[in-house]
Amino acid sequence: MKIYSIAFQSLRRRKAKTIFLIVGLFLSVASVVTLITVSENINKSVAINLDEFGANIIITPKSDQLMINYGGLSLGEVSFNNSQLSENDLQKINTIKNRKNLSIISPKLFETVNLKGKNVLIAGVRFSDELKLKKWWIINGRSPLSPNNLLVGSNSAEALHIKINDTLLIKEQRFVVSGILSNTGSQDDALIFMDILTARTLFHKPAKLSIIEMAALCYDCPIEDIVSQTASVLPTANVTPIKQNIESKMMAVHSFERFSLGISLVMLVTSFLIVFANVNASVTERTKEIGIFKSVGYRKSHILKIILTEVIAASLTAGLLGFIVGVSVAKLVLPFLSMHGLISFTYNFTTLPIAVLLSLFVGITACIYPAIKASRLDPTVAFRFI
Amino acid sequence: MSLIEIENVSKEYKSGTEIVAAVNNISLEIDRGQFITIMGESGSGKSTLLTMLGGLSVPTKGKVLIDDLNIYALPQNNLSDFRREYLGFVFQAFHLIPYLTVEENVMVPLAIGDLNRQQKREIVHATLDKVHLKNKSKRLINELSGGEQQRVAIARALINDPLIILADEPTGNLDSKTSEDIMDIFGFLVEEGKTILLVTHNKDYQAYANKNIFLKDGKLDGGN
Repeated sequence: MKIYSIAFQSLRRRKAKTIFLIVGLFLSVASVVTLITVSENINKSVAINLDEFGANIIITPKSDQLMINYGGLSLGEVSFNNSQLSENDLQKINTIKNRKNLSIISPKLFETVNLKGKNVLIAGVRFSDELKLKKWWIINGRSPLSPNNLLVGSNSAEALHIKINDTLLIKEQRFVVSGILSNTGSQDDALIFMDILTARTLFHKPAKLSIIEMAALCYDCPIEDIVSQTASVLPTANVTPIKQNIESKMMAVHSFERFSLGISLVMLVTSFLIVFANVNASVTERTKEIGIFKSVGYRKSHILKIILTEVIAASLTAGLLGFIVGVSVAKLVLPFLSMHGLISFTYNFTTLPIAVLLSLFVGITACIYPAIKASRLDPTVAFRFI
Repeated sequence: MSLIEIENVSKEYKSGTEIVAAVNNISLEIDRGQFITIMGESGSGKSTLLTMLGGLSVPTKGKVLIDDLNIYALPQNNLSDFRREYLGFVFQAFHLIPYLTVEENVMVPLAIGDLNRQQKREIVHATLDKVHLKNKSKRLINELSGGEQQRVAIARALINDPLIILADEPTGNLDSKTSEDIMDIFGFLVEEGKTILLVTHNKDYQAYANKNIFLKDGKLDGGN
């Protein structure tokens, strides 16, 4: 028998106290692991959803002339000169270091046409990307399925008396209105959207682009890096981050992180107090036992070893159980916290050492004072109990 | 040379504003292999004297020399080591550790030693044999009678083969037949060369002793 055997026998045979000690630590570790895992997954999911929710980078041609405005952003001389972006620029963007962070790249070609006696701006877009980028769009009718389908903004539809399934003649080519957008309160209300390839043919601009909108996933990379990398491959373009958009996204993500951190701290402090009270009470209760150890020649360090071994063993068990239960609870809880569809559940194994170290830290710090108190117990005081 | 020398030892406590002398200027010499009883009324200072002899309570005045060693001049760790090597304690209420088995309780003093598992086992079984408990080594303490528990406590006191056994009312919680068995064990230990200091109220035990010390109000009160 060694000193640690005494500690293990104490844990093994004083089951109720051991369970109470482990549960005190386990609850906080499990809660913290759940919060960390849920928070990580939700943060990622929220960040990805937010990043995909509208563009956060706009690329426009460089120009010395007055700009045309698109939703408060300059578009260069989109309709009036030849200094436009091109299809090649899309390939260049795909060569940047952080290309994996680019979730959506949506090129646009703008052209004004006269329709029913009124000038209207046509936006040639890739509908697959545009619909992903503008998740807030509500389409009355259906999404365009063929190259001759149009989506019409609410203001344009009203001004030009356009209805779903109407046929419009643009540059002598027939188009069918597959859907009309509900009012978005944005520049989109005044536009008519058509397939970009059709627009290029129609307006004789085979490889030209007016602007490129991008949604970059900024959860784990700074947007400034993506902007500077894009600017370096497109020296003749203005690459502009939409700061307000990015900051509000990051604020949403960080506020959840802060909330999780706050809850975790409360749980840890509570756990610390439970363990402290438990070990302190245990030391008082074991005064007689400590007196026996002292009477048979145990040093202060031996008494400390016994108490610390017990707490470390309990902390390791609680840390391990806390990790397993915490991750499992997070997995169960996540679907209920999902805003849109499923949050993909991932956990990283760095949470395991964090859980175990956290448990050890709380356990050891909470028991240091009672353990030192026990080791310093005056044998005569212990003897009075004897 | 005496094994134990107590020179003008006093132990004072503060009780409110008053200072009370639990032991008052006692000097004693005890030789190796003696059986000493310390008797006196409750509060006469018997247990206090025993704790001072056991290196557990620092005297306010005076010196305690054991084997020519001034034990209270030793650093804390050395005093602990001294207790382990020289002394064995037996208490009235046995004071065994309830979550350990008989064998483990007896082995507690060896847990901080250098012996290997097998050596420890052999010593424990030999010691349990001395107190006739070898067949109950795997039992938990609460499965034993009072007399058996006290025999476990004696075995624990003997495990390091100490020179001195300090026993504070070891038969106080036992019936007369069991008490007699315990006293026989002590008698046997004295024959083996142990020095025993026994605090007791029981005057019948004077017959076992080489020397009986009587205390009254913290002072020596005659004796033989």
